[in-house]
Amino acid sequence: MNKKKYRRKKQAREQAEFFLMSLPATVWYILFCYLPLFGIVFAFKKFTPVPGDGLFENLFVNSKWVGLDNFSFLTISSEMSGIIFNTLFYNIVLLIAGIVIPVFFAILLTEVRNKAFTGFVQMVLILPYYLSWVVVGYCLYGFLATDEGQFNRVLTLFGQEAIKWYQEPEYWRLILILIGIWKSLGYSMVIYLCAITSIDRTLYESAAIDGAGFFERVFYITLPQLRTTIALIFIMQIGSIMNSDFGLFYQVPMDSDAIQGVTQTLDVYVYKALMTQANFGFSAASSFLQSTVGLVLLLITNTVINKIDPESSLI
Amino acid sequence: MSDDRNKGVSLLRRSKYITPVESSYSKGADLMVRLFFLIVSLISFLPVLLVFIISFSSEKSILSQGYSFFPKEFTLESYKILFRSGSYLIRSLFNSVLITATGTLLGLIIMCPFAYALSRKEFKFRKAFVFFLMIPMLFSGGLVSTYMVNTQILHLKNSYWALILPGLCSTWYIMILRNYFKTTIPDSLIEASLLDGGRQHQVFFYVVLPLSKPVIATVAAFQTLNYWNSWYPSLLYIDSNHTELYPLQYVLVNMERSINTIIRDSQYLSAAQDYVPPAITVRMVLVVIVILPIMVVFPFFQKALKTGMTVGAIKE
Repeated sequence: MNKKKYRRKKQAREQAEFFLMSLPATVWYILFCYLPLFGIVFAFKKFTPVPGDGLFENLFVNSKWVGLDNFSFLTISSEMSGIIFNTLFYNIVLLIAGIVIPVFFAILLTEVRNKAFTGFVQMVLILPYYLSWVVVGYCLYGFLATDEGQFNRVLTLFGQEAIKWYQEPEYWRLILILIGIWKSLGYSMVIYLCAITSIDRTLYESAAIDGAGFFERVFYITLPQLRTTIALIFIMQIGSIMNSDFGLFYQVPMDSDAIQGVTQTLDVYVYKALMTQANFGFSAASSFLQSTVGLVLLLITNTVINKIDPESSLI
Repeated sequence: MSDDRNKGVSLLRRSKYITPVESSYSKGADLMVRLFFLIVSLISFLPVLLVFIISFSSEKSILSQGYSFFPKEFTLESYKILFRSGSYLIRSLFNSVLITATGTLLGLIIMCPFAYALSRKEFKFRKAFVFFLMIPMLFSGGLVSTYMVNTQILHLKNSYWALILPGLCSTWYIMILRNYFKTTIPDSLIEASLLDGGRQHQVFFYVVLPLSKPVIATVAAFQTLNYWNSWYPSLLYIDSNHTELYPLQYVLVNMERSINTIIRDSQYLSAAQDYVPPAITVRMVLVVIVILPIMVVFPFFQKALKTGMTVGAIKE
């Protein structure tokens, strides 16, 4: 009897200890993740704060429900269709390129005999991943500056006219895509390299004995073995298809107005609506749309992949 | 792991028992692929190299050649200006270091015990907590409410905490830590320590943590990188009249304004009153100062990244 009591007491103590260990992180999650979740309400309210009242009072009591009025940002601004197109366009291109190119590179690189060389290539290619978008913006500026930039110097060298890069929208789709690929290429490649090294070598050995060449090995062993990693990355990316890397679209074009038409994405819009126009409703509605569309797409993709190949699904 | 495997393969090859080819490239193909990667690496490195070279180029050679890879004249002038400019730059460097160190450490202190609790099957509510962690990954409140909560409820505006607290934890890192505790630390070891009368926090502190250095280093590396490179929180939460809180990255963002401060400072301090330094080289020097620490701890990051990837890939 006593023993049982003791054990129960010990167990309760253990649980309490676990709770204590979880407490700081839980508090952080409540403050920085769950508290803002209430703010979804912003998307359905006309925010009219009364000075002196707390945020929640302002939001829930002082502000009126306006239903879906805030979502009129979709139709009110003539730029909106362009912004949504940009977001989807860049994301889809970068999603596909961000899988195909690194996988291709990783497959090519694993079979190089000299391991020191492989390590060197990884180290150089991953460098851009370590740089912030601000730094990337400056790196690009070295090439694109109107008077001193490398590109214009080369152009004038060949008798061409210099281009005002930060004023000409037509080049920026290509530039942003190249920069996006450049920054993430090394990192993604290392992910796939890791996945390839964890493939059972005996598969390759027996294939080699059966006389399989490079392409057979790639198509019958490497790619099928990589499918779970690719699927995981694909699902995660689909979930953020309406989100974009704020830095790439705001910092890299140096927030130049002239090229906004091709560089502005939803995240930049959300930021500008909040910080420069203080339009809480539009900004919140836009965030809400991004989150919801992302979540729905993620779940759909996950279900589809689960049907095809249960091993590769995320949840 | 892979090294052992390669060793095994080469052992086999030497014994001429069977000949499992490690690489299916012919000599020529190998050379071609290597050439290809050499070119790609070079192209990938050029933009960073250019920034380095610009930072060392003299004003004269920039005026005549632009930002060239082969400037006629090298100089340390811009570096001297920056270091002479003193307080403003040193303050922002100090801010960056402070934010990075505090954020990384505090994050680990909060995340590690939580991850340990989640890794133990004795913890009855661990499933609920994992669920609790997953929701923010799928759905977030958005910029407006995050901004409003941070400024109006938590009152973080214009303080160091605004730059530290929002990035403290991440579900991804907690899961990496948990997976490592769960799969790499032998369960029997923990059980034995518990039987010896150890309490959970003691086991965590004296048994699990010392054995988990690789994964802690991994998360620390990721977090260091995140904090060192972060400028978005400064953009949101630090007003322009609080320059004393600016981290280096944000100085770069705000360069148009900052460059004037730096030049004013350095003119004030230096004897040569009439000398106006070339603005862009000074910016590039700042970029170099930001990149350099990253490049120094580079190989370390690489290893950490791989640990993270192998551990993070384990599914529930």
